[in-house]
Amino acid sequence: MTLQIELSGVNKYYGAFHALKNIDLAIEKGTFVALVGPSGCGKSTLLRSLAGLESISTGDLRIAGDLMTTVPPRKRDVAMVFQTYALYPHMTVEQNLTYSLRIRGASKAAMKKAAADVAATTGLSDLLGRYPRELSGGQRQRVAMSRAIIRNPKAFLFDEPLSNLDAALRVHMRKEIRMLHDRLGATSVYVTHDQIEAMTMADHVVVMRDGIIEQQGRPLDLYDRPANKFVAGFIGSPAMNFIPATVGSDGFSLVTHVGEPQTIVLDRALDPGRSVVAGLRPEHLTVVDGGGMFRFPVGIVETTGSATYISTATTPEITIVDTARRSIRTGDVIELTIRPSDVHVFDTKTGMRL
Amino acid sequence: MKRLLSSITDGKGFDILLVAFPLGYLFLMSGLPLLYNVLMSFQEVDMFSRGSFWRPFVGLKNYRDLFAMPETLPILYNTGIFVVASIAGQFLLGFGLALFFWTNFPGATWLRGLFLVSWVMPGLVVGAIWNWILSGDFGVLNFLLRETGIIDGNIFWRSDPDFSLWAVIIANIWLGMAFNMILLSVGLSAIPKDLYEAAELDGANAFQRFWTITLPMMRSTIGAIISLGLIFTLQQFDLFAAITSGGPNNSSNVTQYWAWDLSFRQYDFAKGATISVIMIIFVMFASVVYVRSTRHEVRG
Repeated sequence: MTLQIELSGVNKYYGAFHALKNIDLAIEKGTFVALVGPSGCGKSTLLRSLAGLESISTGDLRIAGDLMTTVPPRKRDVAMVFQTYALYPHMTVEQNLTYSLRIRGASKAAMKKAAADVAATTGLSDLLGRYPRELSGGQRQRVAMSRAIIRNPKAFLFDEPLSNLDAALRVHMRKEIRMLHDRLGATSVYVTHDQIEAMTMADHVVVMRDGIIEQQGRPLDLYDRPANKFVAGFIGSPAMNFIPATVGSDGFSLVTHVGEPQTIVLDRALDPGRSVVAGLRPEHLTVVDGGGMFRFPVGIVETTGSATYISTATTPEITIVDTARRSIRTGDVIELTIRPSDVHVFDTKTGMRL
Repeated sequence: MKRLLSSITDGKGFDILLVAFPLGYLFLMSGLPLLYNVLMSFQEVDMFSRGSFWRPFVGLKNYRDLFAMPETLPILYNTGIFVVASIAGQFLLGFGLALFFWTNFPGATWLRGLFLVSWVMPGLVVGAIWNWILSGDFGVLNFLLRETGIIDGNIFWRSDPDFSLWAVIIANIWLGMAFNMILLSVGLSAIPKDLYEAAELDGANAFQRFWTITLPMMRSTIGAIISLGLIFTLQQFDLFAAITSGGPNNSSNVTQYWAWDLSFRQYDFAKGATISVIMIIFVMFASVVYVRSTRHEVRG
């Protein structure tokens, strides 16, 4: 596999503010990479640095093997889809699509053909004569993507492209973007704050916080083996439960500090007496009718039909996703169990996985 | 009566009242004099009939007489030069300054505010200052041109028939430039920044971005500023009064100054009114262009 985008030791400062801290990232040709993290984590800055809209303070950026650190955006041959779409309001859809070709002095016939070809694949054929203001949100989104596709660039950069759409359309466009990516064999970098978008669309997820990469890898690896408490809490919905606990004297169990001390069994040994945080995913906790590992009083029960969300009346609150349609009501005491291999343990101080 | 009162406090009556005041004011203060002016241009007005409303009706005689006068065509020609050169100068320099301040260097906002000084100054004061600058013997403009080697001898800006009109044009460009700059700055700042980023990624260089994004996006602002410029330059009177008084020998005379001169110095009100009517037609044309260009300002 050849590397399409390569960042090594990239730092970015805004005055005294250190926005990107020593970023190393290697993106193989043909992969779909998602940059995900809370607002202000530096994911957009990283994307804009790839595009050249922000300059890198120190470090190297290579695109398709060429050093691009100081090359102006127009010579990088990357295409970007903006959150606001950034369609040229004074141009028709066709003129929007062919703008880059026009700048390069392509012939009228070539532009017409290119626009028609792209429009056919993205379903814009009937809209070529319209102006952006005459289009719906989803259609504008398609124009923005088509404008990127028509150039056949070295990489596609997406800056939260779905956040201005309604929920149903967002789910639909998610699939459409991924299908386009596969069909074009493109290399894509996709910025989002929505971990579901990142998990569903990407081959490779990069979780960022405060300008550093907390963890990167395949979506399921991040879900199964989060490197630290932050990634564990960020990936997965509803979010992972964190329970303060102490490793038991045998090393193979945790004694929890929520309500009455209770014991969780581990599948690996830890230092006895160590203060830790247990991470339990709501969907891994199972309600049982006896012989459970621990018991909690029920606080709030929310039913969605496919699943029931149970919140316990404890501090911190523990969320359980139950799909078995039990009749559980507020005030009941439920017994819970979890497979030892599903228990995540983090260091209390550093938050690192143990 | 009660219904009328409640309509005024709560209903449509209030809206009508709000509209009625400015409309009534406009009609009284602008509409009536304008109509009276049009009426006068078709009448015979002399020293003895000045006080009466119904004067002998002479049809198009005033217009025929006006165009038979030897100075009419040169003055119309002067007006054309004055309008075109002033607007071109104000617009190009104003646009240049707006683009310059748009780069947002430290202190740009503050400095741009200072430029407004020229616009808030009364025309007569501006005229007085430019009288000094343009002065033939000790003027600073002559000094600069002479020291840089552009001219050999002094130019007598205000008394040389070849330069007198340009003296007023230079002052007028200075006066109107800041207004152009402010309106164009507003237009520039309304263009979303991400359009430029998109264009940059699409491969456009700075000149191409200006040509394909800035100019087309500024079309309505530019239309508005040029039609406003036409209206303002056709109204420019103070500078002529302060700098050249239309002289020497009408070489810097323009219609708006001439209309005043005919009416209030030579007491030929009929001809003054006739010139005004001709100007009204031009201003109306500019107003239509202005209204049409602002109508398209809504962007989406």
